[in-house]
Amino acid sequence: MSASYTAVGWNRQKKHYDWLIFGFCILYLIIFIGVTIIYNPQYTFETVLIRSAGTLAILLLHIILAIGPLARINKKFLPLLYNRRHLGVTMFTIALVHGSFAILQFHALGNTNPFVSLFTSNTQYNSVAQFPFQALGFFALVIFLLMAATSHDFWLHNLSPKIWKTLHMLVYLAYLLIILHVMLGVVQYENNPVFVCMIAAGALTLISLHLIAGTREVRKDNQLFNLKEQGYFFVCNTSEMEESRAKIFCIDTERIAVYKHGGKLYAIHNVCKHQGGPLGEGKILDGCITCPWHGYQYLPGNGQSPPPFKEKVSTYDVKVADGKVWLNPAPYPEGTERAGAVI
Amino acid sequence: MIKQYQINYTMKNDEFYIGWMEKAPQGFAKHIKKVLLILLVAVTIAALLLAFSQKQFATGNFEFGKLTEVKGVYFNDPVPFLKAVNGKDIFGHPSFITIPLIGFGKTGAAGAIAAIEKQKNISLNRKQVTMRGTLLYNDGKLLMQIDANDPIVVEIGADAGNALLPVVSNLGEQVIHGEIVDPKCFFGVMKPGQGKPHKDCAIRCILGGIAPVLKVTDKKGNENYYLILGANGEKMNEAVKNFVAEPVSLQAKVVQYDDWIILYVKEKGIRQFSYIQEHFGGSIASCNPTCMK
Repeated sequence: MSASYTAVGWNRQKKHYDWLIFGFCILYLIIFIGVTIIYNPQYTFETVLIRSAGTLAILLLHIILAIGPLARINKKFLPLLYNRRHLGVTMFTIALVHGSFAILQFHALGNTNPFVSLFTSNTQYNSVAQFPFQALGFFALVIFLLMAATSHDFWLHNLSPKIWKTLHMLVYLAYLLIILHVMLGVVQYENNPVFVCMIAAGALTLISLHLIAGTREVRKDNQLFNLKEQGYFFVCNTSEMEESRAKIFCIDTERIAVYKHGGKLYAIHNVCKHQGGPLGEGKILDGCITCPWHGYQYLPGNGQSPPPFKEKVSTYDVKVADGKVWLNPAPYPEGTERAGAVI
Repeated sequence: MIKQYQINYTMKNDEFYIGWMEKAPQGFAKHIKKVLLILLVAVTIAALLLAFSQKQFATGNFEFGKLTEVKGVYFNDPVPFLKAVNGKDIFGHPSFITIPLIGFGKTGAAGAIAAIEKQKNISLNRKQVTMRGTLLYNDGKLLMQIDANDPIVVEIGADAGNALLPVVSNLGEQVIHGEIVDPKCFFGVMKPGQGKPHKDCAIRCILGGIAPVLKVTDKKGNENYYLILGANGEKMNEAVKNFVAEPVSLQAKVVQYDDWIILYVKEKGIRQFSYIQEHFGGSIASCNPTCMK
């Protein structure tokens, strides 16, 4: 939560996560390379390397893109989300091996610079069938490079969460480029339908997961509740509130988290300053509202991160009358102290 | 109108996961173990499926790192090549093989040969020579890579005169369908050395001076290979750039040079050949039997 650079601290969970990534990657490479070598005695090392790295990177990209919606659908997937950036950096590294060897293999030792050759060898940009698919992979790799290079929280704070998030949403553009890279490239050479089927199955799975996660939220968002008095909205009964937990209410377009803590109710903006995580899906630990995504913390009374951290979110007025909870959606400036409503 | 709505995300149990804690709560840990098991199966299946679904690698060979000396007669035209003795025919006469020369990396042999000729102040054309290079071969065709960094010419002998001139026969004008490849990659250096994944590399090799070759597959799946030149024997390297690694049709004068066939492509005699035409037009990639090997 600091804006200065601090090295990543590897706790037990992080170590397990990284060892599992390593283990799965090694397993994939052993199987793919082993089968290819045994099944194709005429293999060449460079081609096996390019293919194994390329297919592994695409597999990892699908897993990375599936984790987000899975964690929205079922909170039990959150352990996969917490260190997802490690998976992203691993995927970039493997994609870099694929891209580097491909550029070396197909464009080096020629009569022009390999990077110039990448864009000028095949210039049939006006043809779908003959489109220079390698350029698409190159641009996807550039996006992955930007994402990997800025994956540390140091960059998130220095670029601002909004710019950082926008940059990292480019992963969807990169995914599209990768799909086109495969469909306009190797799929036009290989005649086994397995390649098309696997790409289609992967894309369909990702689209379905995103639609399911999105539809669930929209369905909940459409639950209308219209009782209003003097700027306050009736949101729920006090009996529905759980200690140290929150309910999220969306008024207009802003989601507000109302927490129960120490016999009082507190309302803060639902969006975490770190990566936009849903604070209302968190829990109060050690007196702090704790974001479920990456564990960023805020004090319920003023929406400020405990010192020395500097994150702040907006606070809101909440009141209790006759066992009913009333919420005023007008935000106070970020970090404004509110007394909370006694239940 | 103000729209108000409620989202009830309250957790049903007291377990809460945070990544910076030493251990995940039991419920989360159990769930993740199940997910990991599924992932293990999925990753294994994906690796097996993808590995087994690849096309078989080509049978070409590139003797990387191994230099071989070949004795023969060097010819500049129609492309730089060595004509060497390759055993004897059934009558006991020496039979010959034509070995096109190519340069290091994605370059033709002309530059390396010109450098030798300049250095030694001699023309190698039609001379008996012993050259050192790296062999690559596939499907009855043999080529040799010569690298300016190695001593290419081991020995220069006498002029071969007219005795070993290539046997040339005109096979007439033909329209031939096939795929333009660069012979260096196709006959051994790369796998695959053809098709869309290799298109950029083939273009770079051909633009670097390696003579383009038309690969033709007949109805039985047999492959034949033809060197491509312009109508007057000029290089076609630049002209074929936009036709490499895709189905093409060439209208050309077909000439046999010993064990190679050369296509002298007529002006505007090269065009894309559509997939639909190829598969439904009744004219499958083929050529007249007289030009088949």
